[in-house]
Amino acid sequence: MSEADMTTGTGVPSFAPVPTSATEAQVISRPSLSYWQDAWRRLKANRRALISLWIVVGLLLFTVFGPFVWRVDPDDQDLDQISKPLGPASVATVATAFEPWAGVYNTLGPLPDTSVAADRLLAPAELVAVGEATTQAVRLSWQPNRTAPGASGWRVYRNLYHPAPDHALGLPVGEILNPAETGFEDRLDLEPRRYFYSVLALDAWGAESSDYITLSVDVKRVITADEAVAKGLADDALELAPGDSVELAFHPLGTDYLGRDMLARLMHGARVSLFIGIVASFVYVAFGILYGAAAGFAGGRVDQLLMRFADFVVALPFLLFMILFRILFGVESGDSGIAPMLVAMVLLSWPATARLVRGQILQIREEGYVGAARLLGARSAWLVMRHMIPNTMGVILVTLTFAVPSAIFTEAFLSFIGMGVAPPTPSWGSMCNEGLKTMLTTPHELIAPALFISITVLAFNLLGDGLRDALDARMRSTE
Amino acid sequence: MAEGAVQAGSRAPLDRGALLQLLGLGLAGVVGLGALLAVLALWTGSGAADGVDAATGTVTLALSEEPPQLDATRTTDQVSGRILGHVMEGLLRYDARNRLVPGVAESWEIGETSASFRLRADAVWSNGEPITAHDFIFAWRKALDPANASQYAFILYPLKNGEAINRGQLPPSALAARADGDRTLVVELERPVPYFAKLLAFPTYFPINETFYRSREGRYAADAEDLLYNGPFTIARWVHGASVRLEKNQRYWNADAIRLNAIDYAYITSDANASLNFYKDGKIAMTGLNSENLRDALQNRWNIRRFTDGSVFFMEFNYREGRLTRNWHLRRAMQLVNDPAELVYKVIKVPGNLPGASLFPVWLKGVRGYFRQEYPAPTTRVNEAEARRHLQLAKEQLGLTEMPPLVMLTGDSDSANKQSEYYQNVFKRRLGLDIKIDRQIFKQRLAKMTSGEFDIVMAGWGPDYDDPMTFGDLFASWNENNRGRYANAELDAAVDTARSSMDPKVRMDAMAEVQRILHEDAVVLVNYERGSVYVANPQLKGVVRRAVGTDPDFTHAWIEAPGQPSDLAATEHPSAEAEGHAGG
Repeated sequence: MSEADMTTGTGVPSFAPVPTSATEAQVISRPSLSYWQDAWRRLKANRRALISLWIVVGLLLFTVFGPFVWRVDPDDQDLDQISKPLGPASVATVATAFEPWAGVYNTLGPLPDTSVAADRLLAPAELVAVGEATTQAVRLSWQPNRTAPGASGWRVYRNLYHPAPDHALGLPVGEILNPAETGFEDRLDLEPRRYFYSVLALDAWGAESSDYITLSVDVKRVITADEAVAKGLADDALELAPGDSVELAFHPLGTDYLGRDMLARLMHGARVSLFIGIVASFVYVAFGILYGAAAGFAGGRVDQLLMRFADFVVALPFLLFMILFRILFGVESGDSGIAPMLVAMVLLSWPATARLVRGQILQIREEGYVGAARLLGARSAWLVMRHMIPNTMGVILVTLTFAVPSAIFTEAFLSFIGMGVAPPTPSWGSMCNEGLKTMLTTPHELIAPALFISITVLAFNLLGDGLRDALDARMRSTE
Repeated sequence: MAEGAVQAGSRAPLDRGALLQLLGLGLAGVVGLGALLAVLALWTGSGAADGVDAATGTVTLALSEEPPQLDATRTTDQVSGRILGHVMEGLLRYDARNRLVPGVAESWEIGETSASFRLRADAVWSNGEPITAHDFIFAWRKALDPANASQYAFILYPLKNGEAINRGQLPPSALAARADGDRTLVVELERPVPYFAKLLAFPTYFPINETFYRSREGRYAADAEDLLYNGPFTIARWVHGASVRLEKNQRYWNADAIRLNAIDYAYITSDANASLNFYKDGKIAMTGLNSENLRDALQNRWNIRRFTDGSVFFMEFNYREGRLTRNWHLRRAMQLVNDPAELVYKVIKVPGNLPGASLFPVWLKGVRGYFRQEYPAPTTRVNEAEARRHLQLAKEQLGLTEMPPLVMLTGDSDSANKQSEYYQNVFKRRLGLDIKIDRQIFKQRLAKMTSGEFDIVMAGWGPDYDDPMTFGDLFASWNENNRGRYANAELDAAVDTARSSMDPKVRMDAMAEVQRILHEDAVVLVNYERGSVYVANPQLKGVVRRAVGTDPDFTHAWIEAPGQPSDLAATEHPSAEAEGHAGG
């Protein structure tokens, strides 16, 4: 109906009942959307937030159900596969159990002569490997040099590369101070690969002969039948005969510095990290809401008093209180520091939420519908719970999604500096701390937990960002 | 739904753009970082190792910490010992081949209960004053004075009345050491001490100039100018927390034999990686390697050396009243699952470390040869079934159905963390025992060891003098360092026998008895004998590494001018070397 129609006055009354067809015209053609439906719709439209939401859900599944799917004990140390990078499982050959070696003694060998200096000594001869070279042990034997006798001992080197061009003999794996003992058993951290062993003679004062003899040895990865059974790789030791192949435990994300499975540790570590992240943030946000709502609703002197106390709490140093709580709780160095961490976080982190909620409440308090409800006789508690807090929900949810990553990060940091979980319990922060030490040689030990922390914190932050946009009622009206 | 589509349409490009931007940035970051690392690797890899200056005779090194105490009467740590060994000298000293040679004393005579020393006339302090017998007597009285609170006073106990003075029963002047003129020192001994000569090179036996000490008014050894030197070097500059520079002492009696002009500890850092980077950059001449850096060192084709530092590391039990670890069956169970070889070869992974078999390390001398070759250590093989049987017996004896967790006190270093977590798992997996790891910094760990707040402690012991006794009396009931308060009359008797006899055979038999008791009673679980590997500039020669005494010792070191043949590329046996290669 236009204004022109009303002013014509040509037989048609200025005011007439609206025809039924007109009400039909006003029927909303689209389904009505509640606040939450609209928020969800807008969140779905925000791809970043949606991906983050799925990541968060995935993380929760990873944490809660992961250990049921990947049934590996995170504390189990696979000492044959220490600091293994991610990759397929290795295969080992079954060997007989390790037996101590008596060594090689050369009773006919020349006696040591303390008057012979190193520069007159020559390398031993006939350097050979005794038995098969395996990851259990590499056994070497040699003969004293007959043309230049008088050695007082031997030193054995091992290298990954050929020593030839510049006489880089590598690691001094063994030293024998008895010239009659002309054999050496190397068991130091053997890997299935080719090694170059060099042996040289020592004089009475430990000086080396410049002459040396080199032998290349290919080491085979082995496992004993009993070990295979103990590690759950085979059912019965009797079924395994020497020479059979056994697939070693599979570590999809590799192992750490004690051969513990990274994937299992990440899952169990996530429990600690997410537990702190979610419980601590929920508790302190909840407290902050109640405190802020009370202050905002009461207003005046009570508000002043409550908010000054909040200011006081803000000024308290977190780390110091964390340490004080540890002492208060009687937490010894061997116990988990999770409880005091939780308490310290809850007691010291609520003021931010409280301030935010108070500000909102102060605003909402003056709104018309609050006044109306009050006139209708609503009690204060009803007003706060029914009218005010639901209207601050957007702010609260956003605070919460930002609180979770910050709590996760705090936990990671505290575990990183050694104030969090007690060994052997893993947490992402403590795993980073351990991985940092071997960052240059086995980077996967640091990268995996660091990636998990980063992705989790980023996902929660982006989700919070998306929620803020989705829940903002003012943005709703602009569209 | 149209609205939804429009919204998605208006937002999607933004998202895609942002995503692309992010990806681009990330890619650029990764590529940039990679390039930076590559450049760094090239730069550090190609940089010639330096740290030595042949022209000025200077070697540059790093110290792991600021020397905590340079007052020889009160020093306890290795870093201070390392500095003091270069700037001071006792009656005797160790030479490049670890033999005892004359120091301030030019000749000496050691009897059963007395000794006399003739001091050399040309031994002077760095201010030119001669070193007299009075300087030794003053230092020893000072070290024994209870007011000085020296932790190493016990090393002077062989001197007659030494122990009584230290306990406050006699005044310091009662010490049975007298000067016969300025150049003759006569001492009486409490009892026959077969290894007395070996003690004389220890810092607590160093002399102190009394006039100078008093003139410093309590600031003695606090700074470079608050010390008077009599060793081959003097401290020329000491910037606290940053650097210590030693320069050749021109007044040293044997100055002609000292070939280095300066030892510059230009950096103080406890970070092994920082130290390795200094070495790579050619800033220092020597650095230790940890297991993570070994592969790097091999790639760089460095000349890697090994060194067994003489100390032994072990798990010590608490024998105080009320501790579960008093139970022999429990200790025996733990002994039966302990596999030091696995620890050393799989967990520590550094050459030079030896799996522990006995509290007496392999390098100790026995009657004629090495102690451990004459008296082989009793061995234990891992036996889980037997261990579980002992654990069950322990539970029965203690009246427990379940063992409560045991507290394992340990240090806070990387290696201590690794080892304690390894043992936590070993005892859990093989015995079902729960272990709580109590990590503490060194001082706090020592305090807890002294007060007995532990069940098991991971501890170590370094030798003070070159005799099995330095380890042998560790678990004697009267020893302050017996932190678990182990008391066994049989062991005490064996230690007494070894202390009071001068006959090497009797003494070593007694020490072997101690070795047997320590094993059979499962007093300690020996983990390993510590060793290390290090790299040093090939031009730096004559550096002495030793288990007992100043280590590393640069007194006899020199710098070879570049271009001269290095030790391994020596040209004496070219044909033999070729033969050696043929074997490869």
